[in-house]
Amino acid sequence: MDDENTAAAGAQLEASALPNEIPLDGGVDGPILIANEFADVVVSRVLTRNGMRLDIWSPRRGTRVQLDAVELDCLSYQEPETFTEMLARKPGG
Amino acid sequence: MAAIGTSEGVQRMLADMREGVLQGRVPARIFNDQEIFDLERDKLFSTAWCFLAHESEIPKNGDYVVRYIANNSIIVVRDEHGNLTASLNMCRHRGNMMCKSEMGNASHFRCSYHGWVYKNSGELIGVPYFKEGYEGKLDRKQWGLVKVRIDTYAGLIFGTLDPDAPSLDEYLGGFQFYLDIYLKQGAGGSEVHGPPDHWVAETDWKICAENFSGDGYHTPVAHQFGFHLGYFPSSGATHSEGWAVHIPDKGHSIGLGHTPGMPPFFGYPDQLVEQMRASLSPEQMEVFSKTRTAVGSVFPNLSFLIQPFSLVPGEPGVRFCTMRLWHPIGPGRMEMWSWCLVPKDASDEYKEEAYKAYTLAFGQAGTFEQDDFENWTRVTRAAGSTAVRGVEFPYVMGLDRPRLDDFPGPGYAVSPYVTDTNFRNLWSTWLDYLTREV
Repeated sequence: MDDENTAAAGAQLEASALPNEIPLDGGVDGPILIANEFADVVVSRVLTRNGMRLDIWSPRRGTRVQLDAVELDCLSYQEPETFTEMLARKPGG
Repeated sequence: MAAIGTSEGVQRMLADMREGVLQGRVPARIFNDQEIFDLERDKLFSTAWCFLAHESEIPKNGDYVVRYIANNSIIVVRDEHGNLTASLNMCRHRGNMMCKSEMGNASHFRCSYHGWVYKNSGELIGVPYFKEGYEGKLDRKQWGLVKVRIDTYAGLIFGTLDPDAPSLDEYLGGFQFYLDIYLKQGAGGSEVHGPPDHWVAETDWKICAENFSGDGYHTPVAHQFGFHLGYFPSSGATHSEGWAVHIPDKGHSIGLGHTPGMPPFFGYPDQLVEQMRASLSPEQMEVFSKTRTAVGSVFPNLSFLIQPFSLVPGEPGVRFCTMRLWHPIGPGRMEMWSWCLVPKDASDEYKEEAYKAYTLAFGQAGTFEQDDFENWTRVTRAAGSTAVRGVEFPYVMGLDRPRLDDFPGPGYAVSPYVTDTNFRNLWSTWLDYLTREV
């Protein structure tokens, strides 16, 4: 009984943690421009033969990275300091 | 330009002004003069608590605005952990401006000169060619953005350049009681409605600060169309009625104008009034419920106004709130920021109505705003002209008026609303700053 209760509570927690709907603000097709006064990047979804990646292109810098779901998922739970460390390592002057 | 070269003439004028203010006299020259401007920059704005931003202007992590204290550009930001912080808007490497935009969102700031990168909270973290050029010897901890001391009251973010300044609480000195009419509209408090209107005016900031310290005297004349057409719920016959209150030696003032027979909190939605009944003290409710117009200033240059204004002449007014900053940029010249504040918990419909009433009366195209700046610009021009330099203006209205003993709020209160009492306190406080050693 206890185990059942624990499982039910777990399922409830999981469901409440999910958003009610997938946020579609800004569209899903891209490319999407993300810019502030310090940088600008173009973000778009790239379909591969067997899956998809997110393409992040910095036109000013000419650099590009294509991240898969695992890498993006990993970004979603990083602390702000992780990005600070990345910028400290390569400030991109 | 430093203030070390203050001429004997200006020093004598300020010395004479000490007695003059008590007698109700203020020299015209203070309203447009290079030396006075320099003294204000070095002795007043370098030590006072100055308004920077409203918290609702930077609600999300990384949101920032660029504001000023005197001639210092300051970044006010909510960092990646949600904390408010402020720094001089200057790269520590060679002094370049960090943020050129007036507002934005960024986790890190990157200098456009040599590329130094800072966390938005100010710590230097990225230096190009750190190994090759500096051989790793630059101590990044020593070269963060220069921090500015800040504190908040009910959503207002103030900053001071003086590390020894008293607390903001002490600085406000009880004026919080009156600020709450603007900042605690409803249970959720107030928020800005859109970005501020921002423009340059050929006007001395002090003329505006004085006017918003409770100048009900000008309203039936300067804004007479508002009375005649039915935009403004007051009559010239009774317009002098109400209270004028100031905090002695602090410079903060408010005018609370009354209209006989006006229902309490006229122009607010009923629901909002009920919320205020819960969030404000009985003493505040007593003062605010009778108030038609609340026009007040936090010394030196932040002002507020609440009043009902009709969107269609003759129809019942909608109560709106404006917050404004009179920022000096030269003798007789200022930058103006004007915001509309709305109750956060009010309906979207009321917020829109209040914003319409605000734009009808204030902001660049506002009718009252244009009336005022027409006059204020001419006053400024006159004050800077050579023959006016030795002229004084009379500030004798209410000179012998007794203090109200039974007034429920803090500070020095008098009645009626039309008086120079608040202004004499404003000028004596201003004089305290300009004549003290820094």
